Amino acid sequence: MPDGSNPRVDIGVCLFLIVICCALLVEAAKLPPGSFEPLGSAPIPRATAGLIIFLCLLVVGRAALVMWRGQASAAEAPYPPRRLDAAVLFGLTVLYVLLMAQRVAGFAPITALFLFVAIAFLTRFAPRSLPVAALIGVIMGWGCQYVFTQVFVVDLPAG
Amino acid sequence: MDGLLGALGLLLTPWPFFLALLGTALGIIVGAIPGLTGAMLIALTLPLTFYMQPVHAVILLVSMYVGSISGGLITATLLRMPGTPASVMTTFDGYPMARAGRPGRALGLGIGASFVGGMISWVALLLLAKPLSIIATRFGPFEYFTLILMAMVLIASVSQGSLVKGLISGFLGMLVSMPGVDPSTGAPRLTWDYYMLNSGLKLLPVLIGVFAVSQIMADIIDLNRKTERVEMSGRGLLMSLRDWKDQAFNLIRSSVIGTWVGILPGVGASIGSVLAYTVAKNMSKTPQKFGRGSEEGIVASEAANNATVGGALIPLIAMGIPGSVIDAILIGALMIHSIQPGPTLFLTNADVVWAMIAACLVSTVLMFVLMTCTVGYISRLMYLPRAMMLPVIMVFCVVGTYALDNTMFDVWVMLGFGVLGFMLERAKMPLGPFVIGFVLAPLAEAKLRSGLMMTAGSLEPMFTRPLPVLFLLIALALLVWPLYSDWKRNRTVDDTVE
Repeated sequence: MPDGSNPRVDIGVCLFLIVICCALLVEAAKLPPGSFEPLGSAPIPRATAGLIIFLCLLVVGRAALVMWRGQASAAEAPYPPRRLDAAVLFGLTVLYVLLMAQRVAGFAPITALFLFVAIAFLTRFAPRSLPVAALIGVIMGWGCQYVFTQVFVVDLPAG
Repeated sequence: MDGLLGALGLLLTPWPFFLALLGTALGIIVGAIPGLTGAMLIALTLPLTFYMQPVHAVILLVSMYVGSISGGLITATLLRMPGTPASVMTTFDGYPMARAGRPGRALGLGIGASFVGGMISWVALLLLAKPLSIIATRFGPFEYFTLILMAMVLIASVSQGSLVKGLISGFLGMLVSMPGVDPSTGAPRLTWDYYMLNSGLKLLPVLIGVFAVSQIMADIIDLNRKTERVEMSGRGLLMSLRDWKDQAFNLIRSSVIGTWVGILPGVGASIGSVLAYTVAKNMSKTPQKFGRGSEEGIVASEAANNATVGGALIPLIAMGIPGSVIDAILIGALMIHSIQPGPTLFLTNADVVWAMIAACLVSTVLMFVLMTCTVGYISRLMYLPRAMMLPVIMVFCVVGTYALDNTMFDVWVMLGFGVLGFMLERAKMPLGPFVIGFVLAPLAEAKLRSGLMMTAGSLEPMFTRPLPVLFLLIALALLVWPLYSDWKRNRTVDDTVE
């Protein structure tokens, strides 16, 4: 693609956006027309979603053309990208938030555990990094709890 | 002038001064650490400002803004990796000069240029903000609506990547701002009968998700990236009198370019520095030196990117329209403190406006002093292990979002927008238009609907009044021009192939 993006990624993202816009269009169809003002609630969301769908179709068409012509060139990164690690860290974060939402334990112990596991994982469980990860976890977990609850007077999730 | 003097007096009292110092220092540090950006820092700091007075919050955030734009210079020079997108052009000449054994000289030129750029744009901010806000108070709803429309098209057309993708990003930001209670009718819309969506998607979880979470994920993918580094030496860190004299014209020209680019809604520091660098190269007596350690190149890039800060604050203060992505976050900060940005800001919250202007000045001076005195120490922070830093930042994202309303719903929203931001970035869809669309859409919709109520549903004033027509024509030209350029370029390529 002229902007350096991968046509497959373009198509995937645009199709995802089209699905979201279709869902919004369906929801907007339920809105009543304006009664005391000319426009009402629905036309602007509808027009915006419609425009996004139209523009996404343009991108999909262009990306498909590039793929069909065989012009797609996947630019190789000069280093091995750690895509799986990003997905795992995101998964760990979801788990971290879920555990707090379910009040399995308080903010401090869950945060300490999350940081220890996440740092250990990203440093490939290097033995030298484990004590540092544990220390960061403890300082951040109980330190943040103290600062947020005592200084900023914010309630953090309790166990 | 009394307002400014009062704000400067306030800023020199211990607590506000400490906030300005802290904000500038944190901004420089974050700017100097690759992968962390000013937008990320300011979005993460927003929850902490709930507990501050609005004036103090504004001082802290504006200082962070100034610091973060300047800090990127350090990594650009020593690592050939721009700490912030605004310093991309600095890498072209800063790094070659540093590799040639003159890192102190490269940094010194950059720091001096940043200072001058900041000061010149501050003067423009001081002189232009109030008169522009007086003019903007005369705008009717259609003038405002078409101005926002023009701003959106401008943002999309100058963002990196294609115009179509910029437009998708901007419209998506607008669409995301629409669920919740319709301000005109009071009825919920696009909520799927889910009560948590009645108040809409809040700015902070969306911002933290789009800027911080997506950036963390992108940084993890790049963890194996090896950087070429140059050791810091402080020799030549201060610009001599002769340097100031030699670079005077370049400094002023680049600062003026940066300021004007900053004033254009949504056009950030990166474009300002690219434009100033290109002009400096075209007007230089030694253009061949550009890209190989040119002093003019460093000065042009750094003066312009810092000048965009003051320039970008002008439309924010005068019209409530963000001059850059960080300004969009600042608008969010004002709203969180129940301050309505717009042309009446000078009347309703003059103390906040003057604090913003004074903070811009004081933090520019503090940035110069801090960078000159501590650049050696700050440069060591570039080597902090990112594998340890990124999970810590993720915790701050979660806590900061949760602190907004003590609800986990916001945290899920943040994570969802983190994924969306990451996807948009992978598809090279710029995030700037998304955030600015998200911030401006409610205002645009409110203006259009109130205009239509005034005219009983007629759009005629949009096409008959001079200002709306002018804004629409500019928007149209901005839309057509990139398409025409693309078509012309493709035709030239085809002709060459034939």
